[in-house]
Amino acid sequence: MASRNQGSAPRALVVEDIKIDCVILMHMLHKLNCEATAVENGKEAVDLFIEGKTFDIIFLHKDMPIMSGPEAVVKIRAMGATAVKIVGVSADFGGREAFMQAGADVFVPKPVKPETL
Amino acid sequence: MSAANQLAALIANMFATGLLDDQFQQLQMLQDPSAPNFVSEVVTLFCHDGERIIGELAKLLDKPTVDFDRVDAFVHQLKGSSASVGALKVKNTCIQFREFCQQKSKDGCLKTLETVRINFYELRGKFQTMLQLERQVNGFPPNN
Repeated sequence: MASRNQGSAPRALVVEDIKIDCVILMHMLHKLNCEATAVENGKEAVDLFIEGKTFDIIFLHKDMPIMSGPEAVVKIRAMGATAVKIVGVSADFGGREAFMQAGADVFVPKPVKPETL
Repeated sequence: MSAANQLAALIANMFATGLLDDQFQQLQMLQDPSAPNFVSEVVTLFCHDGERIIGELAKLLDKPTVDFDRVDAFVHQLKGSSASVGALKVKNTCIQFREFCQQKSKDGCLKTLETVRINFYELRGKFQTMLQLERQVNGFPPNN
């Protein structure tokens, strides 16, 4: 995983409502020396961008309460955050299409494997 | 038999009987000296979460009018967390469960909930034994 900030740890945002999946993905990212932050739904992710937070990469689950992953992707891109890499994550067959149509860069099926990162 | 041998035999049995799949091995490979309790934390979280979800499903299916969307949402969660820890049998039962949710079949859902409950508690029991054996292997007394 390449860092956009030369010499500093990549900043990752994990948007995941399923606690176990969040714990596992955060652990994988820490092993890759990422500075990782976790939130529980799309709205919390969008709020971070509204506050001016920036990330190099975001991992979003698809079906979450309050705001889904694809909805959050649309809003994040609409705010002009075009440089951040957005990874949609889902076990649903329709997840890829939903995320890519929303503006994600990559789709990864669940469960996420370390070699995929 | 030493605790280490018992632990190895237990885990091998869980794979052989279809309780676990290779995703559990992925979790084991993620454990390292910087996170020596990673697997036990994830397993413990799965056990607590699974029990909570099964309780919620039982309540939802006990109502005279079943909200199948809510049932499906909980089953989806359990399926997801099962897949993430490598709980193969529970995951596969959740897949069947979702089909009954989509068919809006209360009978199908109730029967499958019972199967989920049996498979989950079988797995949870073995996970608890696994964690106890790990404690012994690491030189800690078993939890009582």
